[in-house]
Amino acid sequence: MNIIPNFRTFFVLLLGIFLFTWFALVVFPWLELGHLSPIEEEGSTDITPWDSTGLAHAGEHVYAADGCAYCHTQQVRPATSGADLIRGWGTAKDADGKDVTRRSYPRDYIWQGQTFLGNSREGADLSNVAQRFPDAATLYRYLYDPYVLNPHSSMPEYRFLFVTRKITGQPSRDALVLPEADAPAAGYEIVPTTEAKSLVAYLLSLKKDYHLKPDEAGVPYVPPATKS
Amino acid sequence: MATLFPTTVAPRGFVSTNPDLAAVDASVRVPVMACFLTAVHWMVVGTFLLVYASSLTHPQDTFPILGWFVDLSNNFSMFTYGRVWPAAIDVLVYGWASTAGLGLAAWLLARMSREPIRAPGLLMTGVVFWNLGIAIGLSGILLGDSTGVELLEFPFYASWLLWVAYALFAVWAVGTYLGRRPGHDHIAQAWILVALFAFPWLYGAGSVLLGAPRLPGSGVIQEVIGAWYVHGIYTLWLAPLGLGLLYYLIPKISGISIRFGSKSKVAFWTWIIFAPWTAVHDFVGGPFPAETVTTGLILSGLIFIPVAIIGMNLVSTAFVAEGKQGHHGGVVFPFLVLAAVLFVVAGISEEILSIRSANELLRFTMFRECNMLLWVYGFFSFIVFGAIYYIVPRLLDFGWRSAMLVKIHYYLSLYGILLVIAMLGFGGFMQGNALENPDPQVTIAVAAGDSVSFHIAATMCISLIAIGNGIFALHLGWMLIDWLRLRVRGNRLAAEILLEPYEGDVPSQASEEPVA
Repeated sequence: MNIIPNFRTFFVLLLGIFLFTWFALVVFPWLELGHLSPIEEEGSTDITPWDSTGLAHAGEHVYAADGCAYCHTQQVRPATSGADLIRGWGTAKDADGKDVTRRSYPRDYIWQGQTFLGNSREGADLSNVAQRFPDAATLYRYLYDPYVLNPHSSMPEYRFLFVTRKITGQPSRDALVLPEADAPAAGYEIVPTTEAKSLVAYLLSLKKDYHLKPDEAGVPYVPPATKS
Repeated sequence: MATLFPTTVAPRGFVSTNPDLAAVDASVRVPVMACFLTAVHWMVVGTFLLVYASSLTHPQDTFPILGWFVDLSNNFSMFTYGRVWPAAIDVLVYGWASTAGLGLAAWLLARMSREPIRAPGLLMTGVVFWNLGIAIGLSGILLGDSTGVELLEFPFYASWLLWVAYALFAVWAVGTYLGRRPGHDHIAQAWILVALFAFPWLYGAGSVLLGAPRLPGSGVIQEVIGAWYVHGIYTLWLAPLGLGLLYYLIPKISGISIRFGSKSKVAFWTWIIFAPWTAVHDFVGGPFPAETVTTGLILSGLIFIPVAIIGMNLVSTAFVAEGKQGHHGGVVFPFLVLAAVLFVVAGISEEILSIRSANELLRFTMFRECNMLLWVYGFFSFIVFGAIYYIVPRLLDFGWRSAMLVKIHYYLSLYGILLVIAMLGFGGFMQGNALENPDPQVTIAVAAGDSVSFHIAATMCISLIAIGNGIFALHLGWMLIDWLRLRVRGNRLAAEILLEPYEGDVPSQASEEPVA
C-alpha cells in the first residue's frame, strides 16, 4: 500500500490530475461562454439582452444577502429536460404583446453582476417574475405578506424590509395598500426601505422577453457585419 | 447488537505502548484539543441554527414554539431563513467538519511522521485565526453581508482570515510530512495530502473569482466555478480527510489488515480523477455547454469504481473483524464502520444524480439537501465522532466517563441521520414528481404542499441528531472537567476515579505497529 514511493512523482501526478479537471470543468466553459456579447435584434437596431438600471444592480446584493436563491431558481430548462416550460416559467410577452416561450441561454446572464441560477425550487422560478408581477406595488405587498396574494404560499414574510411610520403631510406614494388584518393604525403608513426598493427594481428587471436563436446556447459569437 | 458497545469504558491506560507514538501524542495535545473543542462548539451552534432554519420551512402551527420562530424571522432580518440556513451550513462545513478535520489531519500527520511535532505555535496561531474567521463570517452572514454564493457566503473580511489560517496550517503540515522518520509510509498519508492540496486550490480560486469584484463579464461562469467549489469541498476536502482516518484506524483498532488492500491505490487515483465531475450534477438542463455536461455525467458516474473498492476495503474489513473476534473493539469502531457505510451511501446518491433522467427529476428538490447532509452530517460527522472518541483519551490519558452516554449518542445520531436521509430522499422524489408533472394544473404550490410533510419529518429527525450532538458535547465537557479537577486537585479524586474496580470488556489494545 505504499502509494507515495517518491514525493515528487506523487505531487506531479496530483497536480496533473487537478489541472486536467480544472481546465475541463472551469477553464473550458469560461473560454466558450465567458465573453459573450449582446446581439442585434433581427429587423431593428436594438440589441438584446440589455443592461438593467443601477438600482436593479444594487438589488442583487439584497437578493444575495437575504438568501432568495436558496428557494428560488433563475433558470428555465428546455422542454427535453423537465417541465419548466409547462409551468409557464419560460414565458414573457415581447414588445408586440406576443408570447416568447423559451429556455434560458448563457447570453441571458451577461449583464448580471452576480448570477443566481439556484438549486432549489421550494418557490417558483424567477426568470420571468417581472412578467407575472408587472408592478412594484404588487411585489411590495407580496414581500410584506405573501398570503394576501397567494394563500398557498410557503414564502416567509419580509417585514423587515419595510418601516411603519407616522404620516406627516402627504401620504407616501409607495405606501402599501393592505387588507384589514395587516393594515397599520390610523395615521400610520407602511413604506418600503431602500433595500426593498432596490430588491423590487431587481425583480422587475427579470424578464426574458426577447428572442435568442436556439443555437445561442454555446456557439461562439461572431458579430454581424456592419449594415450599410 | 449486544456486543456492539462495551458496558464500561477504561478510566485510564490509553497512552500508546510505543514510546515514539506516546511522545508524538503528548506533543500535539494542545493544538489538536483546541481544534476538537472549537469544532464541537461550532457543531452545537450549527446544529441549533439548522433546527431553527429547518423548522421555518413548514407551516407555523406544527410546533408550539414555532409561531415565535416565525415572528422572529418575519420581523428581524438576521433571523430570516435566507440568512440562517446558509449560516448553519457554513458553520457546519467550516466550523465543525473542517476544524475537526484540521485537528485529525494534524494528529494523523504527526503520528505517521513518528516525530514529536515542531512549531506547535504555528499550528495554534492557525487554529485561532481559523476560528476567528468563522466567528466573523457567521456574524457577517447574519448581519446581511453574505455573498450569496453557496458555501462561499462568508464576506471577504472573514474569508481572508480562513485563508491565512489555512496557510499557517499548511506550512506546518508540509514541514511535518517532510520531516517524517523514513520508512513509515501509509495510504492514509496520501489521502491527507490530497485534502491539504485541494483545499487551498478550491478556496483560493472560489473566494478570489467569486468574491467582489467577480470575474468580469462572466455570467454563468460564476455558477460553473460555484458548483466546482461546492462539490470539490465534499469530494476533495472532506472525503479524503475522512478516508485517511478510516484507512489508518480501521486496521489499527481491529488488528486486521485492510482486505483487498492492493486495490486501494486504484481507488485513490480513480477517486481524485472522477469525483470532481460530480459538479456537473448542478448543470443538467441549465445554460451550460452541453458537451461538458454529457462528459461530466459519464465521468461522475464512474465514481462507482472507487466507491465500490473503498467500500470493499473498509466495510468488509470491519465485518471480518467482527466475525473473527465477535466484537467491534470498543466505543470507537461502530462510529468508524458507520462512516464507511455512509460514504458508500453518499456515493450511491451521487450515482443517482449522475443518471440524466433521475437528475432532471431530483435536480431542484430536497434530494440535494439529502446529498449535502449525507456528506457533511452523515459521513464526515461520524468520522469526527470516531476520531474524537479515539484521539482525545490518548491525548489526555483519560477515559470517557460513561459508556452509556456514548451508546445513546451513537443510536440517536444513527437513527437521526438514517431517517433524515430517508425523509429527504423520498421527499425529493415526491417533490420532483410534482414539479416535473406534465399536467399544467399541478403548480408549484402543489409541489410545495407535497414536500411540507417531509420537511416536518426532517426537522424532527434533525432535532434527534441535535439531542445526540448535545449529549456528545456535554459528555466531552464532563470528561474535561474531571480531567481538569484531577490535574488541579489531585489525589482524592484520582483515587475515586482511577481506583474504582474496572471490569474491562474492552479488548486489549491492538498492536501499535502500522498495519499496512
